[in-house]
Parts: sequence; C-alpha cells; structure tokens
Amino acid sequence: MTAQFGYPSDREEASAAQVRALEALLIEKGVITSGTVDKVLGYFESEMTPLNGRKIVVRAWTDPEFAARLAADTPAAVAELDLPDGMAGAEGEHLAAVVNEPGIHNLVICSLCSCFPWPVLGLPPYWYKDPVFRARAAREPRTVLMELGVPLDDDTEVRVWDSSGHSRWFVVPQRPAGTEGMSEAELAGLVTTESMIGVALADSPPGR
Amino acid sequence: MTDVSPAKLHPSCVSDLNQPVFDQEWQRRAFGLAVALSEFGHYPWADFQQELINAIGTWEEAPTDARGRWEYYEHWVTALGAVVREHGMLEDSYINPEDRDPHP
Repeated sequence: MTAQFGYPSDREEASAAQVRALEALLIEKGVITSGTVDKVLGYFESEMTPLNGRKIVVRAWTDPEFAARLAADTPAAVAELDLPDGMAGAEGEHLAAVVNEPGIHNLVICSLCSCFPWPVLGLPPYWYKDPVFRARAAREPRTVLMELGVPLDDDTEVRVWDSSGHSRWFVVPQRPAGTEGMSEAELAGLVTTESMIGVALADSPPGR
Repeated sequence: MTDVSPAKLHPSCVSDLNQPVFDQEWQRRAFGLAVALSEFGHYPWADFQQELINAIGTWEEAPTDARGRWEYYEHWVTALGAVVREHGMLEDSYINPEDRDPHP
C-alpha cells in the first residue's frame, strides 16, 4: 500500500470487519453461498474488462455504419459483437456511447457517486471516484483536461456526460492519424481505458 | 457541493492513470457482495446506488474539520449495510459470527 492511499488502520479494520460480518451473516442465513461473491468477482475480473471496450472502439473506427448504430442504440450495437455472455447484465443495459469527432471532445464523469460502464471498461480507476476529480471535472472540464495533458484547441467543444443509473457513458475516441492499414489487433493496442473515459486521446501509432 | 477549488487532483490522476482498483481485499469483497446481491435479485442496483449517493453526499456536505479523510469504500460499506437493512435481508438481532461467545 502506497502512502498516497494510506489512512488510519483502525478505520481500515472496522470496515474490513463490517464486510466480513455482512458476508458471513448472509451466508449463514442462506441469502448467498460461500462461493457467490467469488463467482461474481471472478466474472468481473475475467470477462468485464477494457478489452471489450477496445473491440467496440476498433469496430466503430473501421465500420462507420456500426459507429452510427453504436451512438443510436448502444446495447443493441454491442450485442452484435462477439463479446462475453452477460454484457447486458451488470448494468450493461444502460451502456451509452458518445463519439469524439473533430471539434468535439467528450468526457465521462459521475458527479454523485461512481457509475461506470463496467461491461466495457471494467472497474473504474481510483481517481474516477475521487471527490476533487468529480467536482472539478464537472465545473471546469477544460482546465482539468489540460492539466491531464489532453491537447484541446480553442475551437474544440468539451461535452461532459454525467453518468447515472440510467446512462453509463463511454467515449469512442478519434482514430489517430497514420493508422491506415493497421490490423484490428494493432488498432486495439492504441485504445486505452483513459481514452474511453475521455481523459486522454487514443495513443498514436509507434513512430509518430 | 463542497467548494474544492484550491484542491489538487488526486496524485494518481495526474501522475499515473493506471492505479490499482482495489487497495485492500475487504474493498474487493465489499464490491463483489454489493454486486452479487443485486445480480441475484435481492435489490435493484438503483437502490444501492441511491444509498451510495447519500453516503457520499453526507461526507461532502460535512465541514472539512468534522469529517474523516476521504475513503471511497467506507461509503460503499455504509451503503451496503443500509440497503441490506432496507430490504430486510438480516434481522437487527443477528450477531456477527466473530463476536459470538464460542461456549454459550
């Protein structure tokens, strides 16, 4: 555990004990079994990962008609792809894609809690849940993006999408220049999780 | 919302975007437990989410010197306890197995 995440160990232990107790009591009462939590965590950690988001973005980059369907009805477009079963569960029915284009940069936040498009991006990074990021990104998104190193010219409009139980947004970043002729696997390597949240652009191909 | 204008972004945001999602195993289990109960139909996710919003909102509205340091998963655990109570999954009389007398 690094210092920047350190906090008092008694609070840590109290929270840990509360979670142990809740799980033990729910198992004892028969609400769940001893394997339930591990099963769900295993599914999240093996199947609900940013690899799904990368495949969706690459398809949108290489198939403009798919990109249009993705923006119009995200769950239906996602269902066209060969992604793990269960994409419609775990809040997948609320997935909603926004597409970057010249002059428009999209940024996803959750100002009230931490809603995130789990099926396509996995679990949110620590900072996505941080109160300062949530507040500042809502209030001064352009400044925050510049601090994070996202190049924005004055003519680019920044659109902020506040996630909720009804809409779990993710961003289709712009396809970088110089990627003509790259394979789908090579393109997928340019799509970072950060670019699908909108706090970064897709990576440039090697040598550019 | 609390005015946080002079505050800086969390260091993990500007220095290294790829921070671990869970810092401790109890955080991971708290996440899994909340999702599992929803996925298996014990409550709609929206109910958990509302409790999480309430817990985070209470912290954000408290004066800076009267609240503990920000720890996201503490709010998660608070919300989990609240939604389990609301949906009657445990009676109040249940005693944590760790706290029971082994020789009653």
